[in-house]
Amino acid sequence: MTDLPNSLARRGFLIGGAAVGAGALLTACTSNEPPAAQNNGGGANVAAGQGDNAQPGKMVTIGFSAPAADHGWIAAITKNAKAQADKFKADVTLKPTEGTNDPSQQIAQVETLINQKVDVLVILPMDGKQLTSVGQSAMDKGIPVINLDRIFDTPLAYRTWIGGDNYRMGVNAGNYIAGEMKKKGISNPIIGEIAGIDSLPLTQDRSRGFKDALAKAGFQVGPRQAAEFTVETGERATANLLQAAPKLDALWNHDDDQGIGVMAAISAANRKEFIMVGGAGSRNMIDKIKADTDVIKATVLYSPSMASSAIALARLLGQAKGMGDLAEHEIPASITTYSAVVTKENADRYADVAFDS
Amino acid sequence: MTQLDPAAKRDTDVPEAPAPRANRGFSVDMRLASLFGVLVLLILIGWITSPDNFLTGSNLDTILRLAAPSGVVAVGMTFVIISGGIDLSVGSVVGLASVWMTTLATQAYGPFVMVVCGLAVGLGAGLVNGVLIAYGRMVAFIATLAMYISARGLAEYLSNKQTQVVRDQDFLTFFRGEFLGVPTLVWILAIVVVAGWILLNRTTFGRRTFAVGGNPEATRLAGINVKRHIAMVYGLAGLLAGVTAVMLAARTTAGSSTNGMFYELDAIAAVVIGGTALTGGRGTMVGTLIGVLIFTLITNIFVQNNLPTEVQNIAKGAIIVIAVLLQFRTNRARSTT
Amino acid sequence: MTAEASTALLQMTGIVKTFPGVRALDGVDLTVRAGEVHCLLGQNGAGKSTLIKVLAGAHQPDEGEIRWQGEKTALSTPVAALRMGVATMYQELDLIPGLSVADNIFLGHERARWGFTKDRQARRQATALLKRLGHPEIPPDREVGDLSAAGQQLVSMARALAHDAKLIVMDEPTAALAADEVTNLFRVVADLTAEGVAVVYISHRLEEIREIGHRVTVLKDGRTVARDLGADTPTSELVALMSGKRVETVYPNREESTVDSSREILKVEKLGRDDEFADVNFTVHAGEILGIAGLVGAGRSEILETIFGARKADEGTVYVNGKKLKNGDVRSAVDAGVGLAPEERKSQALLMDMSVAQNVTLASMRSYSSFGFTDRAKELRDSRAKLEDLDLRPADPRRNVSTLSGGNQQKAVVARWLVHGCRVLLLDEPTRGVDVGARAELYRLIRELAADGVALVLVSSEMPEVLGLADRVLVLRDGRVIHEAPADELTEADVLDMVMEGSAA
Repeated sequence: MTDLPNSLARRGFLIGGAAVGAGALLTACTSNEPPAAQNNGGGANVAAGQGDNAQPGKMVTIGFSAPAADHGWIAAITKNAKAQADKFKADVTLKPTEGTNDPSQQIAQVETLINQKVDVLVILPMDGKQLTSVGQSAMDKGIPVINLDRIFDTPLAYRTWIGGDNYRMGVNAGNYIAGEMKKKGISNPIIGEIAGIDSLPLTQDRSRGFKDALAKAGFQVGPRQAAEFTVETGERATANLLQAAPKLDALWNHDDDQGIGVMAAISAANRKEFIMVGGAGSRNMIDKIKADTDVIKATVLYSPSMASSAIALARLLGQAKGMGDLAEHEIPASITTYSAVVTKENADRYADVAFDS
Repeated sequence: MTQLDPAAKRDTDVPEAPAPRANRGFSVDMRLASLFGVLVLLILIGWITSPDNFLTGSNLDTILRLAAPSGVVAVGMTFVIISGGIDLSVGSVVGLASVWMTTLATQAYGPFVMVVCGLAVGLGAGLVNGVLIAYGRMVAFIATLAMYISARGLAEYLSNKQTQVVRDQDFLTFFRGEFLGVPTLVWILAIVVVAGWILLNRTTFGRRTFAVGGNPEATRLAGINVKRHIAMVYGLAGLLAGVTAVMLAARTTAGSSTNGMFYELDAIAAVVIGGTALTGGRGTMVGTLIGVLIFTLITNIFVQNNLPTEVQNIAKGAIIVIAVLLQFRTNRARSTT
Repeated sequence: MTAEASTALLQMTGIVKTFPGVRALDGVDLTVRAGEVHCLLGQNGAGKSTLIKVLAGAHQPDEGEIRWQGEKTALSTPVAALRMGVATMYQELDLIPGLSVADNIFLGHERARWGFTKDRQARRQATALLKRLGHPEIPPDREVGDLSAAGQQLVSMARALAHDAKLIVMDEPTAALAADEVTNLFRVVADLTAEGVAVVYISHRLEEIREIGHRVTVLKDGRTVARDLGADTPTSELVALMSGKRVETVYPNREESTVDSSREILKVEKLGRDDEFADVNFTVHAGEILGIAGLVGAGRSEILETIFGARKADEGTVYVNGKKLKNGDVRSAVDAGVGLAPEERKSQALLMDMSVAQNVTLASMRSYSSFGFTDRAKELRDSRAKLEDLDLRPADPRRNVSTLSGGNQQKAVVARWLVHGCRVLLLDEPTRGVDVGARAELYRLIRELAADGVALVLVSSEMPEVLGLADRVLVLRDGRVIHEAPADELTEADVLDMVMEGSAA
């Protein structure tokens, strides 16, 4: 990593302007996207990578372990990882494990990958705390670990962490709504919130960010209900919440998976007087935002494209390369993806990172 | 053999004193009345805590629409529990049926086929339960637990764990629409409850369901095909789970393997609150309906007051305990008087 | 075809039915003619219940032939039997407590059209049937579970009548009936037979058989030992056929008393429970057997269970070896050395699916385990020794207790308390469901326990048993002790007189 020619070469393609890694997502190739938003066939398989770093290098075997895909978002994570590996098939072999929601089984799976002497590990742990020790033991054996989204207890257990920012998701949703309210000149708006599973720290972070951002604008959160990330619970919580609030000005729904149910309840109640903002960035919602016929006007990203990035990072780690645009010789130890706000205006740019809920 | 003949002397006053109008109607009515009292109390609480929004037509609409799917499942569960069984699989079967009827392939055939498909999947899964229990001699708890796991698994497999949006507008227009100012879903609930009441109380099928639950051996000796009857009861519960799947697909505009999650528990709770004995042989359809309404009301009232979910769950648990204790008391009062 | 077969409504020959480990029917012959009351006699376990179930189509015989009106037939299901015209009144099992009287009567052949029940018609017909049985006052929409035992018996009877059967099987129909009810029943039976209906009648009361029976068939150990006897066959002959022994030899004769009156073991003072019994006082010495005589419902079992702590006394005290027992605490009684062999062995005493050894050591787990681990070798060793002492056969402690006969199961219960080192043994109907041969052994065993210095309390419905075994007898009526005397000063007639007084007088 420290040899001069290599780093000089890297400087070279800085000028090339090709973005790799996290930044690459925004301009990524979309060639393997399925044509239409069908939910039964293929999904949104985000795969980035171009420029010189994209040139085949040393063969890298990447071990991948994630929880069972019982939710559109996690399903997209696994799919994206596979798509990205496929994109680099010239020099990447992906060894995915069967998804499991049992932490002890996931530990066993990661141990198996370690024994198979993979070059890099990408782990989205079921429970960050419980998988910390196995991450650390991989690091101790010299296998770099990329920790995806749910963070381990100690930085010693990963080489690089890449994940989303739940707090900022809430902040951006709050800022967007506050801005819209100001534009409309509503001084004392009623702002509702449909949260995800309330006991999860990620839900708590999102709600805190939302509340903080609104407070900065002098607003506050009105009626709030928690759903469970499923269509049905989203519908039930929203149907009740709409009854409790005969008039709303804005509504933030944490999760686009449950968003289908939220939208169903809104249309059943025949309510149109407010704007709605989603969360995560499913294809369904982004399509609706673009069409601009429903109450939903925006969604804040928490994109599973981070899995594609993780595989790209793993490959670079395995080939001892850095990230092209950065001055650093090394891959950073921590990358936080940005929770961009997708609106009608920029929806086209984000079509590639949308996932099928 | 000189035996002191026990009973001969004890029961000299043989049959019960002929109580002129005393019959089971009385005690059941007492129980239903107390349940109804709980319902009224909840409505009062809702009205007092949220005077502007609670007693409105649209809130009533919402409550009934939300109660509709779980109510239909609970009607099926009432039959199963009265027959002395239990069906843990209904929630999963709802999920499976909702996924099967909303796959692109099924949706291509139009709304009628979607509905028939949902019902057929439910009925099929229920009959599998019934056959395993009646003819395979499996314990109901185990057989339906297996179905609970595998139906959800099959649903996830079919849907690839993704939400399948219903695109058929005719389907959505019909089931999300209204008839005579009442939502279609509420009509379905009403029809299912009334039909369920008639089936339970006015037909041989219902009579035999009570008999099977009260004493299966005696029922067999009375010349009734107990096995076939049990299979049919589970088939009925499955069919109603299929109806629920159709209702949920309309309500949420999507089929998903997560649909119907925990419906079995809500249904069992509503049935038990409604006064149906888990040991079988006793139960009422009206009680079940009230049980379902009580549960839906609690959620609605808590949301009206913007209270978090966990408090709702505490209240629901407490209601179950109170309702069952109340019934113990009315039962005991009856046996001593 | 013989002349008899041609007139016979039902003819069963060589019926064999085996269950795992048991040959319940081992060649039964039964011939029933139209219009007769055919009595079926036999001890518990002789195969009567199994035979009834074969007749009702509930059990399929393994061998044998059934002819109905001369035609060979198979009673393959309960439906087939009912359709052919055989209705059965079981002693238990056949009513559904949660359903109404009318619903029970017509269960399986409901009054209905297109599956919709015609309740009014059912109620009307039910009332008519009950009226025929002399009980028009039983409301047809009353829940059967709310009726008394006798009321339920009547419903069961009405149900059999509702089938318009050619043959009605009645299993102990008078067990729950009072005298005037019995008269009523006999009138109905007479009506039925006059109409040409045949009745298979099972009862333990020989006088009833004389009153309404025409012919008698006797079963023993699953075989027909005598068939088509006249109803006037002498009692001693019938009993001899049923038991294979003379009656006199069945009950124990008085023997030398083993009472050690210097050692008072159990003392009961002013014991009482509301609505059950009151003011019960007695003492039992080492080596003494105290008998309690009385009707079922007089409070006998309740007294034993209260001494044992299974019920909480409302008043009074129990002392064992001068130490007061904690009220309503089984543990305290067991620790003091009290053991109870309850009336319902299978439900109250034994773990039917576990081995004899595990049953025997149940009350003494503490001495068979260390740090929570059971010492299985010691358990087997001690159990085997105790089984040999008690002559429990087969003396294999590993056998499942459910495979033992009634008498041997009772011994296993006794063994449990002996292993625990019990000083007071309360026996509630110890010989119920135990066959005659095994009874003698139990009597001998009870004597031996007394000789070893155990204080025993014996409750039994069979007078000669109490009088033959006990040293002293308490006579109980309606929860009160009305007489106490040494057993040899009492006769059966005395005691019967005392317990029946009031109700009989």
